[in-house]
Amino acid sequence: MHDLGFHALLFLVSTTVIVAVSCMFSEPEDAAALRLFPRRLARFLIGSAIVLGVMLALEHTLAAVS
Amino acid sequence: MTPTLPQRTGDPTVATLLTWLVPGAGHLYLKQTRIALAAFVLLEGLYVLGVLLSQGMFLEILPAEMRGRFAAALTPEAGNLGALLLHVRQYGFGGLEPRPWPAHMDLGMALTATSGLLNLLLASHAHLLARTPAAGPSTPQRPSPAAAAALTWVLPGLGHLAQGRRARGLVALALVVGLFALATFLAEGSNLDRERHFYYWAGQFLLGPAALAVEFAHGHPTLTSLPDYKDAGVVLGSIAGMLNVLLMLDVYGYGETKWFQRPEPAPAPTA
Repeated sequence: MHDLGFHALLFLVSTTVIVAVSCMFSEPEDAAALRLFPRRLARFLIGSAIVLGVMLALEHTLAAVS
Repeated sequence: MTPTLPQRTGDPTVATLLTWLVPGAGHLYLKQTRIALAAFVLLEGLYVLGVLLSQGMFLEILPAEMRGRFAAALTPEAGNLGALLLHVRQYGFGGLEPRPWPAHMDLGMALTATSGLLNLLLASHAHLLARTPAAGPSTPQRPSPAAAAALTWVLPGLGHLAQGRRARGLVALALVVGLFALATFLAEGSNLDRERHFYYWAGQFLLGPAALAVEFAHGHPTLTSLPDYKDAGVVLGSIAGMLNVLLMLDVYGYGETKWFQRPEPAPAPTA
């Protein structure tokens, strides 16, 4: 249940599917959608990492209860 | 001099709203009588059959704290608004005493939900027809954009295949159905039950008959303990359904572009 690695893998799998389908939606041409995918995936992962960092910082400062 | 645009068949907003209220009404407004009658009989028939099988009890699933005024607005049934309003008016949240679910409760709810979703696709078809010149589309398409979207609902990627976009269709099928399969595996099938996850079920329902087939094959398991990853399964299953909406919009948009595209003029003959 608390397996961090498995949670990260689930996040990566779901993120890949979400970004891939959003690329299909954005670009009607297959080649253009394929070119868009790595850049968009990287941006999504970096954005998520920033949100994670902010949440952890808040958890250990403002929201800490111990 | 500005070229004269071909006249539309009708007002797209009116056609869409009429269909939303009564299946087929938008097509009747557009003088597509045969489609209107067939849609009315099929979609209202599905809804009525669903209500009969479920004894109109689908909102009785909701716990007391979730029985708000707009509780029914986030259900697939809201796609057939007129039928849903009558349904809620007639049955509401049930009486004070809880009743046992009828034997075919799940099938009944699947039918009412299907009626709602198909009516939304019908409304998109009415909207498209209303924008189409009376002489017909620039490039007639088979399947029509709305039919391609319906095929995508039937099976993710099928609409792409019907449009000749084979690679995209197969990738879409593998990704979305794969995510749904992973979700169901993680939740050990507990994600498939509308009685257990009323609104998440609606998200998964967007994956279409594939999700319903798994639900009925799995048989709504009685759980003796909660699976470790039940929450991840419910959320990922719902995401898979919502991603299928993006795929439906993709095929609709692609088909729509072709539908209104004017054919390129033939090159001038060379001397």
